[in-house]
Amino acid sequence: MSAVLHAHPESGPALGIDAGKRRRVLSEAGQRGRWWRFAAILIITGIVLVPIMVTVLLAFTPGPNSTATGLTFENLGNVFSKTLAATWLKNSLVTTLSTVVVSVAVAAPAGYVLSRGRSKAVSGYSLLLFVMQSLPIITSVVPLFILFAGMGLVDNLLGLTIIYVGSTMTVATWMMAAYFDSIPISLEEASWIDGCSVFGSFTKVVLRNSLPGVLSTAIFAFLLAWNDYLVAIVFLRSNEIFTLPMGVQSFFQQNATDWTSVMALAVVMMLPPVIVFATLNKYFSVGGIGGSLAGR
Amino acid sequence: MSSTTTQSGLSRARRGVAPGGSGAVPGKRKSKLSAQATRTFFWLLLPSVVLLVLIHGYPLIYAAVQATHDGDLLQTGNFVGGQNFATVLTSPAFWKAAQFTLWFTIVGVFGSWLVGLGLALLLRTRIPGRNTFKVLLLLPWVVPIVVSSTAWNWLVATPDSLIPSLFRNLGMGTPLFLADPTLASVTVMVFKVWVSFPFMMMMISAALASVDTTVYEAASMDGASRWQQFTQITLPLIARSTYISWILMTIFCVNDFPTIYLLTGGGPVNATTSLVVLAYRTVFQDFATGPGVAIAFLMTMTLVVISVILYRQIRKSSVE
Repeated sequence: MSAVLHAHPESGPALGIDAGKRRRVLSEAGQRGRWWRFAAILIITGIVLVPIMVTVLLAFTPGPNSTATGLTFENLGNVFSKTLAATWLKNSLVTTLSTVVVSVAVAAPAGYVLSRGRSKAVSGYSLLLFVMQSLPIITSVVPLFILFAGMGLVDNLLGLTIIYVGSTMTVATWMMAAYFDSIPISLEEASWIDGCSVFGSFTKVVLRNSLPGVLSTAIFAFLLAWNDYLVAIVFLRSNEIFTLPMGVQSFFQQNATDWTSVMALAVVMMLPPVIVFATLNKYFSVGGIGGSLAGR
Repeated sequence: MSSTTTQSGLSRARRGVAPGGSGAVPGKRKSKLSAQATRTFFWLLLPSVVLLVLIHGYPLIYAAVQATHDGDLLQTGNFVGGQNFATVLTSPAFWKAAQFTLWFTIVGVFGSWLVGLGLALLLRTRIPGRNTFKVLLLLPWVVPIVVSSTAWNWLVATPDSLIPSLFRNLGMGTPLFLADPTLASVTVMVFKVWVSFPFMMMMISAALASVDTTVYEAASMDGASRWQQFTQITLPLIARSTYISWILMTIFCVNDFPTIYLLTGGGPVNATTSLVVLAYRTVFQDFATGPGVAIAFLMTMTLVVISVILYRQIRKSSVE
């Protein structure tokens, strides 16, 4: 149940019943309390969102040398014409989208085995994945740096993507497994009786019914790759290979006083995850491994 | 409720018992199928295993080699035994970083849990625009750390930034949020709580949504107070989720790099240097690969032991 829940965190018929019953019992006091709670949550949300509002506001405020008044897109234009922002954005998109595709492609079949397999080896592998995701990435970064340096994969987007796939696949596998757990095995059994192979029933029956699970895994991989800073700072050296986190950071260090431009670039970086979140928040599983652990 | 049937169906599926009864498949076919299943499972798992060995297995072994050699980022160097570990374990910087990591983790885990719990409970009640608030409050978790740390920098970094000015105008002096060692540690921890509370809120909200509310009606008929209902019903019911979220947040906090590094760079005077930041700086700024990897390796070993124990605990609690 929780596996389904974590894909649809908003669902919860219990809430409606609770509110309905309570309204009948203490309607007037309840009504007043309702508005107090509304005021409280409004103030809290306002305070919590100050850093984000500040970022957006500054990004559209005219810069120190600007003649514009009111809100302007000037800073965004400047950032794209004077820096490599377009290249950084492209690099980030390429790396992130490849990570998403490959890690889902690796995690879905592995997750299926974790969900349906019942041997000692499979549960051992499940434990191994859990242990691996809890290790600090800094430990593997140094050896991988040396390995990749010999292969020409340092300062290279392919090298970065390989590491991202490696670091997302553990949790992604868990998430897929948790979702597959919620698909009744009787569906596959029916297809086996119809002469379908195990692989065939996985792709045609299970995978076809797993869009929400695939989407939440994809969102998880997207956020991790898009937001990473530690791997990027170690592996990327040259300006034109930078992904957005490196771009924003280096631009910030060189132009610490030009806040409106820095924030314009920050908005460029913030936009894709916010758009993904806004459109797909039904499938957004903050928990990632949390949701899958709770579900399994 | 329908959820209970789903639940039992689920756990049956997990144990491999099909709702229709697996006896429907004739024995001969079944064994043929299971041989085929084993083969298919092997191929389905293979890419994942290869990646795990390449990205996690190999580096871990090589890290053990590096930690016992005096090499640099280009070559392995000579075997020096436990010398790097001795260097690390006797250096005050290591213990200072360990201490900061401990505090950072404690505040990060329980701070974000308390805030997340409070908000989850508040958002559970009837409030106009509840779902909008729920979505908005997740933003700190969604926005990249690089972006939010820049915004926090703008808010607190210099004496003329918005928040220090606010304090000054209220006659409370001009706090140097990132320049004073103690205050910088506090600022980093508050930033971590700000980034992490949505995760907790989400975990707890999901757990609360699955609680059957008729329990509360029964309890209030029996005369249980609000506080009693909270401690006797709500907390035990979300215990498992809470436990899991604490474990994960502990791992997130111990392994955290950008939250700290992007806000303070580990300073002032190393006041906010965590173990990961120390390992990073030792390797990539002091070019002392051996000791740096030794630090990372000590963290890794600790986390392996902790996570194996915790994994067992979670598994046990999910069987019950």
